[in-house]
Formats: sequence, structure tokens, C-alpha cells
Amino acid sequence: MNKLDAHSWLNDHGDYLFRVARRQLHTDELAEDAVQETLLAALSAQTRYAGDASPRSWLTGILKHKIVDLIRRQVREVEIPRDADGEEAVDRLFQQDGHWAEPLRPWGNPQTEAELSQLRRVLDDCADRLKPVMAQVFSLREVAGMETEEICKELNITPTNCWVLLHRARLFMRQCMELNGFAKAGVA
Amino acid sequence: MKWLSTCKETTELASRAMDERLSFVDRVAMRLHLAICENCARFARQLQDMRRLFQSETTADDDAPGLAPAARQRIATELQNKLDD
Repeated sequence: MNKLDAHSWLNDHGDYLFRVARRQLHTDELAEDAVQETLLAALSAQTRYAGDASPRSWLTGILKHKIVDLIRRQVREVEIPRDADGEEAVDRLFQQDGHWAEPLRPWGNPQTEAELSQLRRVLDDCADRLKPVMAQVFSLREVAGMETEEICKELNITPTNCWVLLHRARLFMRQCMELNGFAKAGVA
Repeated sequence: MKWLSTCKETTELASRAMDERLSFVDRVAMRLHLAICENCARFARQLQDMRRLFQSETTADDDAPGLAPAARQRIATELQNKLDD
């Protein structure tokens, strides 16, 4: 592997790495940072690249760590448990006695590939609209499939904060899906 | 302990159940509630649907936008700087 490979990594895998990062970081800027840091780290480490993985999966492995690093930096700037806005937003979904404020409508039952990809797009848009950190923790769990224990450890947040963030994210995601037309009468 | 949890509490349990195995007591509380509450049962199902959709997506997102030209240029410059060091 020679040094010119760095530019071919960008050409061949830049878009792919960006899409992976974008879905977990939720802003273009952070995703671009993640791609840049990944390629620079790859350049420094290329003597350690044994060539037994494809360049794409090698780079994707580095990207995963860079994504977590970037989220860790975000987490330091936000006070998770004392987020009164988030608490209030959750309270609005329920009545005083803890019952749902509004009945939940069922989502449609998408069958065709076109319907599914439309649904996925709305899902991604909804995730982008979550607050930073909440969106990122949610995506580490649901998109990247990391275990919560690992997420807490990597981001240095308590399990309780993790549950709170994920619970809120899921409530808001569900509501967003419903508001964006993925609720039809009569289908489970 | 109350013998029946509220909808709000049940959503907390249903959310946590997506991430870890609940204790026996929590599991019973959740199931009791889900058995009689259509809204919460729907909530729990939709959490599963959401996960399925996210997991199926990672392989097929090639129509999502890629790197913006300006960002690509910036990264190429950074790489070149490092190569020139």
C-alpha cells in the first residue's frame, strides 16, 4: 500500500463513510469532521493495515471510533439529566395521572420497497430533529446497534441518564412518525 | 409498590426492555399493563418496528446525499498536507 492510496480512499469511500457518519451524528459538519479524522488516522496507521480486511471495512472500523469520539466531545457540553425542556415535552404526552394524553394511532403497513424507503426517510428526518446528544445516543443504540452498557462506558454517562435519553428519544420519534403521516386507520 | 403501573411508567419499562432484560417484577408489571392497554401495546410494537426499520436501512442507503464538494476538497487538502509533512 503506498501513500497515494489516501486520495483513492477519499474518492472511493468518502461518500460511503459520510453517509454512515451522517446517520449517527445528524449534522453534515460533524459527519464531515468524522470522515476527515478517519482518513487522517488511516494515513498515520497505514503501516498497521495488514490488508486482510477490505479498505472499506478497515476505514469503517476507524470511523466507528471517530464517531464515538465526536459524540463524547458533544456530551461534555450538555447537561443531560437536568434538561427541563425535555422533561416538560415528555410530560405533555401524558395526562397528570400518567395516562396517554392522546390515543396512539397505528402506523401503516408498508409493503413495497418504495413505501419502505419513504418510511425510512421520514425516520431519518425525525432522528435529525431530536436534540443533539439525544439523537446521537439514540443512533448509537438503534443504528449502530451498540449495547447500552458500552455506550454509557464510552460516553462516560450513567446508565440512568442513558435510559432517560433513550426513553425520551423513542417517545419523540414515535410522535414524529405519527405527525408525519405514518399513521393510518385500521392497520396494525 | 403499586400493583399496576401507569402508561408513562410502562413506556419507560418498554423502552428499557429494548436495551436489557428487565427484572422479574418490572417484566410482570409491564406485561400486566400491556395486556389491558391498547395504546401502550401499540407503543411497544412501534419500538420494535422502529428498530427493524433502522437495522434494515444501513445496507440500502445509497441514495442518501454524499460528501459536499467543498467538504471533499477540504479533506483532500488536509490529506495532502499530511502527506507532504
